[in-house]
Amino acid sequence: MIRQTARDRIAHDLTHRGVSAWLLAGAITAFYLALYYTEFFTGVAKAVGLDSKWTLYGLLYTLAVVTGGVFMIRRYRHNRYQVVRTSVVMAVQTTLAFSVPQILKMVHQPEYYFSYLWPLKLDYGTPGYLFHLPLGYILYSVVGSLILVPLAAALFGKRWYCSWICGCGGLANTAGEPFRHLSNKSSAAWKFEKFSIHTVLGVCLLLTGLLFATYGAGNRYPMLAKYTYEYQSWYGFIVVAMLSGIVGVGAYPIGGTRVWCRFFCPMAALLGLTQKVGRYRITVKDNMCISCGMCSKYCEMGIDVRSYAQANTSFTRASCVGCGLCAEVCPRGVLRLENVSRPAPQERLVQIAAAGR
Amino acid sequence: MRYVIIGNGVAGVTAAFAIRERLDDAAITVISAESDYFFSRTALMYAFMDRLTPRDLEPNERKVYDRQRIERVRGLVTDLDAGAHTLTLESGARIPYDRLLIAAGSRPNRPNWAGMDAVRDGLVNFVTLQDLEQCERLTKRGGRAVVAGGGLIGVELVECLHHHGMDVTFLVRDPWYWPAALGEAEGRMISEHIGRHGVSITHQEAIARVLTDAAGKVTGVVTESGKRLDCDLLGVTVGVHPATEWLSGVRTPPETGRGVVVDRAFRTSLPDVWAAGDCAEIRAEGRAPLVEQIWYSAKRQGEAAAKSMLGDGVAYAPPIFYNSSKFFEIEYTTVGSFRAAGSREFYARVLGKEVSVRIAEADGAVAGFNMLGSRWNHTVFERWIAERRPLAWCMDRLHQAQFDFEFGRQDLTDIRRQFAARRMEAAA
Repeated sequence: MIRQTARDRIAHDLTHRGVSAWLLAGAITAFYLALYYTEFFTGVAKAVGLDSKWTLYGLLYTLAVVTGGVFMIRRYRHNRYQVVRTSVVMAVQTTLAFSVPQILKMVHQPEYYFSYLWPLKLDYGTPGYLFHLPLGYILYSVVGSLILVPLAAALFGKRWYCSWICGCGGLANTAGEPFRHLSNKSSAAWKFEKFSIHTVLGVCLLLTGLLFATYGAGNRYPMLAKYTYEYQSWYGFIVVAMLSGIVGVGAYPIGGTRVWCRFFCPMAALLGLTQKVGRYRITVKDNMCISCGMCSKYCEMGIDVRSYAQANTSFTRASCVGCGLCAEVCPRGVLRLENVSRPAPQERLVQIAAAGR
Repeated sequence: MRYVIIGNGVAGVTAAFAIRERLDDAAITVISAESDYFFSRTALMYAFMDRLTPRDLEPNERKVYDRQRIERVRGLVTDLDAGAHTLTLESGARIPYDRLLIAAGSRPNRPNWAGMDAVRDGLVNFVTLQDLEQCERLTKRGGRAVVAGGGLIGVELVECLHHHGMDVTFLVRDPWYWPAALGEAEGRMISEHIGRHGVSITHQEAIARVLTDAAGKVTGVVTESGKRLDCDLLGVTVGVHPATEWLSGVRTPPETGRGVVVDRAFRTSLPDVWAAGDCAEIRAEGRAPLVEQIWYSAKRQGEAAAKSMLGDGVAYAPPIFYNSSKFFEIEYTTVGSFRAAGSREFYARVLGKEVSVRIAEADGAVAGFNMLGSRWNHTVFERWIAERRPLAWCMDRLHQAQFDFEFGRQDLTDIRRQFAARRMEAAA
């Protein structure tokens, strides 16, 4: 082993599932439990002049994204894609996901987060909530969820949302950066991912359907309303509080930054299915891979990128959020994120040659 | 049918998988003295830099070997009896084969500097997993290192040692870094880049004598110009040679030259014995003997040798040469050749950036591309060389070969301006 300084050893321990990593995971989990189930942070918020613990949480979250983003941009300043993407993530977090809703609140408008859409934000696709909003907000929600989201995913891949706009992805790709390599790369994890994320999507779609049914016919069928609201509160507890908050962020130092996004987010599931039939892909340069594994190691979604690169196969995986780090860390420049409408010229030649055989 | 492969590097393991793909019932055994599982040797530096674990270097999930029924044997082969179709390991175990592939790779060159005989510790190469352990043991923040040898592995080792806070002196024998592949301007750009990182890089300087203490641990070196450099670690990266030494002691050695001599179907002089990868020397009538020692050639040869072992007619001919590397932050792509008779070159460096382009033209067609500091699709260059495109034609379409990040495409205006100015000079 290399004789390291104390600072090196602590940094290594923290980012390689050492004792300090488990302590940090515990601390984050405790923070979320306290935030959700106690009023401790209400007191803190009041003490610093904020109206609620959620505003305090939003402020802390935004600070984490901005601080991590500055670190990220410094580190990858030679890579324009990373600089542009991180700048957008930081800008969205500070405006649409934090200051804009606060301002709306001040001018007596609904506290609306334009960067969140159904099905990630269930409320925004829920009639009981949605139909109480002014018309403009309703239109934005409906057009956003049903047209903008799938259309942009088909054109640019799910990255336009998951690693450019979304706050979950924003935190992962900024403050979470030192933990990205901890994602599980095994084929077993991939199998579980396909099962779990589509299960959550199914649960979410069913719930949305039931909420609409209740909205329309809840008066006539009180049992339907009763079970639907119970279902909704369980969804809120398990999926929103536990999986997206506590597991999603608390697991950073242990399972990497995208545990929520990869295994549970219904929005990511929907975007992923669209991405599979869209234009986005990772192009692999033929016969240039040295199988080093840097791409797989630093894939936050646990995609074994190397398995495609060493087999000379350009690919689109549903889970890929297009963070672009595989292309960044590749020492031989093998990978490139692309939106392709038709095969590259050299591929067409290969196809023609193959057809002639 | 029992297929046995000596060496679990990229050539050997590629061959093993290629055989399994075609033959479901064959027994396949891969023998290695170095490691239990195939790993990416080219990524050794990332393990040293703590960006990957040794386990991360393995390109396949471990269960793949069981699923593909590829038996792995750990041991050093000490005897080959082609008459009895049997290998013997150092442990005494015997391994029979029907068809044998020697893919033993290469070994680091060991220079005959004065004082080398006394060295017991402190001298490292950077080729094997065992080398990695040695390097890690000798590395300490604030320690001093000397690395001799101005090639690809040398600069990787320098980067790793520097990463761990060692005070590194890089001794390059040549007037600029890596003249075998880089022109003077390119080599100087790389040297400056390495120097800017805080590595002390010295050209036209080589080791004359290695100094050791009473226990044989390296304490320093004396250069040919008489300079004394103290060090805790001496890295020797002066190239590799095909691993053939072990064959001199076996019962039936195959013919060897620089490497294990094979024909274009990778057949050695022994019946049912093939050789491929770094250790093979391909001889064919009318062609210069060929020893290819890079990752890509090993993978290619392993695949071709497997076909030959399966009975396909194989007449291996290397494709247009290409390679890639990275010198600290500067990425490098090379395609083709700069040695063609009567070739002319265009070289341009982007003003104020560590980005350069060098293209050779011979007989009115492009012959070679040396690209530093930005990303290129080598397959486009290969096609242009194969299609014998003129230099000016390629310059007009250079953007088609770009492979930079989105939003980060290298601006070629300055390169094209320099090319136009050069052409006008030629016209006048």
